[in-house]
Amino acid sequence: MQVTINKVFPLDGSVSDAWNLLENIEQVASCMPGAEITETVDENNFKGSVKVKIGPMHVAFNGDIAVQEINPGEHRVHLIAKGQDSKGTSSASMDLTASVRAGESGASELTGDADVTVNGKLANFGGRMMTQVADQILGQFADNFSSRLGASAGSEDPAQTASEPEPQVQEINGLKFAWQALIGFIKSFFTSKA
Amino acid sequence: MAKTQVSFNLNGQDVDVLVEPRELLIHVLREQLQLTGSHIGCETSHCGACTVDVNGQSIKSCTMLAIQAQGATVMTVEGLAAGGELHPLQQAFMDEHGLQCGFCTPGMLVRGYRFLQENPNPSEEEIRSGMAGNLCRCTGYQNIIKSIQTAAAALNADTGSQAE
Amino acid sequence: MERQEQLQGIGCSRKRKEDPRFIQGKGLYVDDVKLPGMLCGEVVRSPFAHAKIVSINKEKALALPGVHAVITAEDLKPLGLHWMPTLAGDTQAVLADEKVCFQMQEVAMVIADDRYIAADAAELVEVEYEQLPALVDPHKAMDADAPIIREDLVGKDEAGQGKRTHNNHIFTWDVGDKDATDRAFESAEVTVREDILNPRVHPSPMETCGCVASFDKVNGSLTVHITSQAPHIVRTVVTLLSGIPESKVRIISPDIGGGFGNKVGIYPGYVCAIVSSIVLGRPVKWIESRIENISTTAFARDYHGVGELAADKDGRITALRFHALADHGAFNAHAQPTKWPAGLFSICTGSYDIPVAYARVDGVYTNKAPGGVAYRCSFRVTEAVYLIERMIDVLAQKLDIDKAEIRRRNFIQADQFPYQSALGWEYDSGNYAPALEKVLEACDYEGLRKEQTEKRANGELMGIGLCTFTEIVGAGPSKACDVLGVGMFDSCEIRVHPTGSAIARMGTITQGQGHETTYAQIIATELGLSSDDIQIEEGDTDTAPYGLGTYGSRSTPVGGAATAMAARTIRAKAQKIAAHLLEVSPEDIEWDVDRFHVKGNPDAVKTMKEVAWAAYNNVPEGMEMGLESVNYYDPPNFTYPFGIYLCVVDIDRHTGETSIRRFYALDDCGNRINPMIIEGQIHGGLNEAFAVAMGQLISFDEEGNLQGNTLMDYFIPTFVETPHWETDYTVTPSPHHPLGAKGVAESPHVGGIPCFSNAVVDAFAHKGVTHVDMPHTAFNVWKTIHELGLDS
Repeated sequence: MQVTINKVFPLDGSVSDAWNLLENIEQVASCMPGAEITETVDENNFKGSVKVKIGPMHVAFNGDIAVQEINPGEHRVHLIAKGQDSKGTSSASMDLTASVRAGESGASELTGDADVTVNGKLANFGGRMMTQVADQILGQFADNFSSRLGASAGSEDPAQTASEPEPQVQEINGLKFAWQALIGFIKSFFTSKA
Repeated sequence: MAKTQVSFNLNGQDVDVLVEPRELLIHVLREQLQLTGSHIGCETSHCGACTVDVNGQSIKSCTMLAIQAQGATVMTVEGLAAGGELHPLQQAFMDEHGLQCGFCTPGMLVRGYRFLQENPNPSEEEIRSGMAGNLCRCTGYQNIIKSIQTAAAALNADTGSQAE
Repeated sequence: MERQEQLQGIGCSRKRKEDPRFIQGKGLYVDDVKLPGMLCGEVVRSPFAHAKIVSINKEKALALPGVHAVITAEDLKPLGLHWMPTLAGDTQAVLADEKVCFQMQEVAMVIADDRYIAADAAELVEVEYEQLPALVDPHKAMDADAPIIREDLVGKDEAGQGKRTHNNHIFTWDVGDKDATDRAFESAEVTVREDILNPRVHPSPMETCGCVASFDKVNGSLTVHITSQAPHIVRTVVTLLSGIPESKVRIISPDIGGGFGNKVGIYPGYVCAIVSSIVLGRPVKWIESRIENISTTAFARDYHGVGELAADKDGRITALRFHALADHGAFNAHAQPTKWPAGLFSICTGSYDIPVAYARVDGVYTNKAPGGVAYRCSFRVTEAVYLIERMIDVLAQKLDIDKAEIRRRNFIQADQFPYQSALGWEYDSGNYAPALEKVLEACDYEGLRKEQTEKRANGELMGIGLCTFTEIVGAGPSKACDVLGVGMFDSCEIRVHPTGSAIARMGTITQGQGHETTYAQIIATELGLSSDDIQIEEGDTDTAPYGLGTYGSRSTPVGGAATAMAARTIRAKAQKIAAHLLEVSPEDIEWDVDRFHVKGNPDAVKTMKEVAWAAYNNVPEGMEMGLESVNYYDPPNFTYPFGIYLCVVDIDRHTGETSIRRFYALDDCGNRINPMIIEGQIHGGLNEAFAVAMGQLISFDEEGNLQGNTLMDYFIPTFVETPHWETDYTVTPSPHHPLGAKGVAESPHVGGIPCFSNAVVDAFAHKGVTHVDMPHTAFNVWKTIHELGLDS
């Protein structure tokens, strides 16, 4: 099944700081909860993995990330990630365009437009929660991105940033997401009523 | 996989079984203890065909590990008739045509048995909600409700006559 | 009279003879069968709807202790068993051969010591897929650029049921006078047209499908305990597939936990278990999970219909034109009499005297599970009845004629029977008009309409649904119906023992219908022996006479007739023995409930019990000893039960929740054998109708992923949702059935579904709504409300 997600997240740093982070695919990947780059094939192609746990389902995706475009002029990256889990029971792909732009109050904004397609067991059992889970994943991604940006922007010495320990690769925990999704759903219910 | 000894009381008799920690109670009842009355109709604990009575509660035995039954008192449909006499619920299911293919019946009976102790004088509405964890495809439920009402009346008449 | 009652024969609501074992947990279902050395099979399934299989790696699975084998299409190929014939003349992959064509398709089977190890090992089988674009929407199946689902059929202009015109085309079937119908439409005063969907659903009996296959290498014989509604057909198919002589194949359908059409077909899991048992020389059990059941074995419906009626301005129907696009999934494995690609869809003229009609069905392949079974109905009869019963309401609304009145104006009249329908059926008997009046009066129809008018004035939503349907059941005359070339007769063999009890064995198989009781009642009345003393056995092909099984409400029309005929042969012989004992000629003997007496001398008596004893020691000269008979009954026609249903719904205009205030079902199934059992069957059928109309749906996303294949998502009504049922009856005997009986258990499903839909649509009729597709879930109904702005 396919879901389309369009999101805008406010960032603390400037557009140029944010762009410096965004154009570094490995850095970007490490902001994605549960994801890591396992191999750099060439400048535009990477191999990576994502671990997801939704309820009783543990899925470890291994896949390829192909950068389609890095556009410094428009501060935009476009990449396609595709993967299958090791048991062959699910597959997923994401076509993501992300960009940074000036925000309303002088700071910057991260925009993300993604088409996410999942097939197999994940689509059967996770189908009804896909939108919410994807929302949460992107939300966490934006949080990580923002705090990474804060860390690098606050530091004068780029070397210092680089020497910071890498954040632990965490598994995406779907149960936690489900809870957050539920809260999100209840909130939206009240907001729409008001 | 290492096996664990589990002891519990089943239909009035003490039993010991060796089980893997991951084995479900329904599988141990059906496959080791040869009590095939309780059935398996789904794997998501929706259908209730596997309902057994554990320590005075209705339990879907497809969602309980056998090791959790350690020390418990378990009753299955095979334990419902006492001393060769049908339980009033069993009799009522037969009298009111409360079953057709019979697959859900053991779970229905065991749940009904507990339900009538929780609520000896239920209204139709109360039966509908009290029995809602057990699915049936054949009967349209109406005659099961009648069976439970008939059994309730019989059980109440019994207690009444004992009180006199 | 007293003697009659003691027999507990035809017409008696006697308690069921099968119940004692079920209420004490002593039924024997397939999963209860445990044989020495038995292994357990688990199927590895495709996660994708359409994909090439790049590789299958069994090594890790085979390395797991307790695993005996992992079989794939490659292993079945040398045996020629990687594909199998379907009942519809197509072939179906037993295990996916190079590609998968639907999600959850069978790719491999793991055989292990127990179910836990088998499940572990199934997880260890590594399959690499290359995904292909999936075809999900049947309307796009015949597009020029549609993905080809069946590479094996490319270049073949035929897939078992007539000419194909596209790679995803299976068949086109039509019936009726197209030109005359088109002309009638052109000259009609009024025409109506509506797109009407019978969505994909699943019968989901409480017991899933499964088998225990046991091959005896020493004797070369195969025994299979199987969840089958047609064990004798299974035996024939097993022989055709395996080459083992039919005399060495024993198929046993033990107690069956509900069928509803789900257990007619022959599934890959069965074949894999049988092959594994033959190869490994040990019994192999395969039982599907609920998820596997809903996902793979036997969906029903998926008929995308277009209904058209032509009429005069008074609402008299002048012509009918129905079309359906049938989504058969990846393999054409629907379970119908072989010559009927669209089953008995041509019953779609219903209870109405329609002069000219034309019906056409196009079958297509999609990337979905195969099936197309008759879910508690005769073949494709639900789809047909749904169309006509919805369309007559559409016509009524167009002409502003009351929905009861328009039915009155179109009914086939009692004096028109036997009635020849425009699409070729001969309706045996019926009496619709008085039955309708009986229901309208019982429910105070006038009062309900008045109340509805008042409620509408207050903005409340109340609907009244009517359904006045005719079914066609009891397949069937062998000149018209066969399965793989075997005529659709059925059979009964009765043996009366010396002390006057009896055993009877039949070719049908009960799945909850109470055969052990009703057949015994028939014999009780025919032979004058108490039904308590008559044992009924079914389902074991080694002992029972060949029969075509139980589905399509055929047990009473065909098996019941065979029972009566076999019993009558026995009684005729008994009469001769009685005459011999009473020393008169047989013509001077009269039958009286349970005994023979000499005409004009009621004291010269021999009871059937006395005759039974004599049959084994004192028969007339030249007569064979014994008292038994077997009958293979080939019915001269189908039977045509009918019903008049009325449903009242109240809809919450804020939530879309539909509450069923009243459901009144009058059924006419001819003469009634056990009214208690009939009523139970009707309750059950109505509940399954409620399920389909109000909630059941097997849906897929654009990539062919199943959306909801557990009982968490798939709607099985519980005690709470299920409405209260009111039943009623009239009796119009079948003129050709030996007992005047017709089938009944499927009528409530067939008639119930349109009745619920008609009630829901009727609630919106005053807003110009003529049709809304099922299922009428709260969300779907709310959408209608919201579109009409009724929730503000």
